[in-house]
Amino acid sequence: MTLELVDVQILAAALFCLGLYGVLARRSAVMILMSVELMLNAVNVNLVAFSAFRDISAVTGQVIVIFVITVAAAEVGLALAVIMRLFRARGSVNVDELDLMKG
Amino acid sequence: MGLVVFYIFGAITLVAALGVVTTRNVVYAALFLLVSLAGVAGLFVVLFAEFLALVQLLIYGGAIIIVILFALMLTRSTEFSTTAAEHSRWPVAAVVSIGLFALLSAAAVGDSQTYNGTRRVGIDIKELGVGLFENWAVPFEVASVLLLVALIGAIVIGRTEPGQDGEGRAE
Amino acid sequence: MGIEEAWLIPTYGFIAFGVLAVFGRYLPVPGKYLSVGAIVLAFVTFWPVLFDFVSRGVGEHHLARKWFTAGDVSVGSGMIVDPLTIVMLALVTFVAMLVQIYSLGYMKHENNGREQDDPNITWYFAAHSLFTAAMLTLVLADNMLVLYLAWELVGLCSYLLIGFWWQRQSAVNAAKKAFITTRVGDVGLLIGILVLASETGTFDITQTIAYVTGDDYNQGVVTFSAFMIFLGAMGKSAQFPLHVWLPDAMEGPSPVSALIHAATMVTAGVFLVARLLPVFEAAPSAQLTVAIVGLVTAIVGATLALVVTDLKRILAYSTMSHLGFMMLTLGAGGYMAAVFHLLMHGVSKAMLFLSAGSIMHVMHEETDINKMGGLRHRMPVTALAFTVGALALSGIPPLAGFWSKDEMLLAIKDGLNPVFLVLFLVAVVLSALYMARAIYLVFYGELKPENRGVQEAPGIMSLPLLVLAILSVFAGFIIFPLGGGYEGIGNFLFTAEHHAHDLTIEALWTIVSIVLAVGGMALGIWLFKSQRASVDALRARFAPLHRLLINRYYMDALYQWIVDNVVLAAGRLVAFFDRRFVNDGGVNGVGYATVEAGKRLRVHVTGLFADYGIAMTGGVSLIVLYLWWRSS
Repeated sequence: MTLELVDVQILAAALFCLGLYGVLARRSAVMILMSVELMLNAVNVNLVAFSAFRDISAVTGQVIVIFVITVAAAEVGLALAVIMRLFRARGSVNVDELDLMKG
Repeated sequence: MGLVVFYIFGAITLVAALGVVTTRNVVYAALFLLVSLAGVAGLFVVLFAEFLALVQLLIYGGAIIIVILFALMLTRSTEFSTTAAEHSRWPVAAVVSIGLFALLSAAAVGDSQTYNGTRRVGIDIKELGVGLFENWAVPFEVASVLLLVALIGAIVIGRTEPGQDGEGRAE
Repeated sequence: MGIEEAWLIPTYGFIAFGVLAVFGRYLPVPGKYLSVGAIVLAFVTFWPVLFDFVSRGVGEHHLARKWFTAGDVSVGSGMIVDPLTIVMLALVTFVAMLVQIYSLGYMKHENNGREQDDPNITWYFAAHSLFTAAMLTLVLADNMLVLYLAWELVGLCSYLLIGFWWQRQSAVNAAKKAFITTRVGDVGLLIGILVLASETGTFDITQTIAYVTGDDYNQGVVTFSAFMIFLGAMGKSAQFPLHVWLPDAMEGPSPVSALIHAATMVTAGVFLVARLLPVFEAAPSAQLTVAIVGLVTAIVGATLALVVTDLKRILAYSTMSHLGFMMLTLGAGGYMAAVFHLLMHGVSKAMLFLSAGSIMHVMHEETDINKMGGLRHRMPVTALAFTVGALALSGIPPLAGFWSKDEMLLAIKDGLNPVFLVLFLVAVVLSALYMARAIYLVFYGELKPENRGVQEAPGIMSLPLLVLAILSVFAGFIIFPLGGGYEGIGNFLFTAEHHAHDLTIEALWTIVSIVLAVGGMALGIWLFKSQRASVDALRARFAPLHRLLINRYYMDALYQWIVDNVVLAAGRLVAFFDRRFVNDGGVNGVGYATVEAGKRLRVHVTGLFADYGIAMTGGVSLIVLYLWWRSS
């Protein structure tokens, strides 16, 4: 049996949903950030799979992945800066306490 | 052969990811993340995207994880927190996530009839370079600007005010 | 200057009103002279119109002019100048002129021993000018919309002038009552006009008359319209049961009563029926109703005039009675007789009101005839004028009223069931009776001590009185052919359409009417002069009847009951509905529901990131699901 696109898609879906669970269920902001990284990676896997298995130009898929990684890196940097600021202001990074938008 | 390797790396990735989202210890989570990302790199190799695998390891493993660990270091209120790692909404989150997974898998399987293809091709790195710097040159430039902006932004947001120490408390 | 310029006649009044209403305060000359000047001009302008009219051959001249068109219907603003119009123009301009001159003297009040103008005198004259202008427009109108417009305007001026002394609550109530009661009639008029116009496709009077005199007209529509239009006439001309406003309208100044409630506005209803008589003749049931209502009105008015003690109210009920006569005559098809009586009555009744005004003026607004008596010694001119007018209206020859009453009698005899004739004659006797009562109780008998200081009224007031008195004596002779192409009023009024009606004098009936009138007068004088005691005995014997009359047949009580229990109850119901459903439910309810919904939904805005994320994921899942389902 050979590897098919479907298999990779299912794997990517699982990775994505694990990351989603982490985003939705974790308390610490840093944990949430790490889960977001998982989701982005899942997307990357999917893209690479498409570029490998499909007849479309393979270059496109991989170039997009490069951009995704770039943006993810930028995003992590900024997000961590914000988290640090938050920590300084409140003393913890518990997202349950960030309910100023309540009501 | 390729299939077996795929399964191995896939398992590594998924188990590590599971660890990321379930463990209580934040540092453990970061390390689990590292393993998971490495697994993804392996997957890239299986899919003939070697260059990307290297990029993945460098950027993610080398830079992002380090940054996360530094941030963890700077935001510790107690050594080991006693509160739960998840908050009260976690059953709903689990249900939603599993639901989405089911949905996406079903969609993928449903489409597999139409889109089946088992041919795996990789690309020449030269092609990748040409594509990146010719067809996708503008997004490339924009991405570099983006990185600059993120850099400046992170510095501005993250810096301490004069008269405060690193913890944000006034001198 | 001729017929084409007849539109000038009302215009002077409108201009005077405009100037007085806006600039009245700032005029160098007192505004009252401006108004009098306008009406004199109107009267003067009338004569060239009359001469031109006669020289062109008496007939109907319809000077049409288009005003606007709406869809298929075009409304004009032209004039009809026919014999009826000429008669009305003459009456209105002449009486209005005399009344305004009279008002110059009447609208002064004692103030620290000096006579000063009423403080609002400019507005008084402004309203007078407007009224006259509107009435003249009504008479000249060639289409029913303009007529209705003028009709309403006339009603408005009546309201303004009745309530002129608004500091008096009774005057305010009277003005309201007049307006509301005539409004009830006006609704009918509007409905009638609209229904008729929708059937004939035009508002033009000439075309409408052509329609109903043609061969092919919708009987049902015409009959219905005739009833509705008569409803309007009932309101304005104080026919039973819409008469209740007329006695109360005496709260207004006496010149107002003379002009509006004797000679002009109340005759608008009669004029309307006369103008549209072909419509009524095409609807016999409506015409019969006109006759019946007129008869009832005549009798009710005459009986009520017998018992009231307020001099002006006696005259008001007398007016009502005579208007009833006119309507009755029109119901019998006696176009000429009715219009003739309109003219005669207008002249005489106006003079009677002015005399009453003179009496009130010198007796400090006293109107109770029981407090008068013997005034002929002190006010000879007024007494003479009043007596002449009263006799004229009672039908004593050769005064004006005799001729018109005779013609009315003949018309009723020829046109209607004998029952009408008999009751008409009863009313004639009654009218002589109450007039005698009035004359005697006011001017004859003993002069009461408190009235010793009474003097004759100022000359400016007595002059119009005398003019009208002279007319009352001689005006009746216009019934005869006077040469110069004038073949008598009967011939004058009937050319072109309507039915020609030569003057007829049937000797027998003439004698009957003379006998009744003189007899009634004599009876009255006998009763009130010598047998005062028996009057009181009569009153005691017919006490229930007397009570009925004193309470005005309980009509006012009836109307008040209707207003309280029907109109206001309906109003309360509607108000309840409005308050509960529209306001609380619709308006406030919507707001309340929104706020409550907001409160309920606000629970979901927890501020927690996870909740938002879960919701977003759920939403995305649904979209994915939908897209997948669509593509499969």
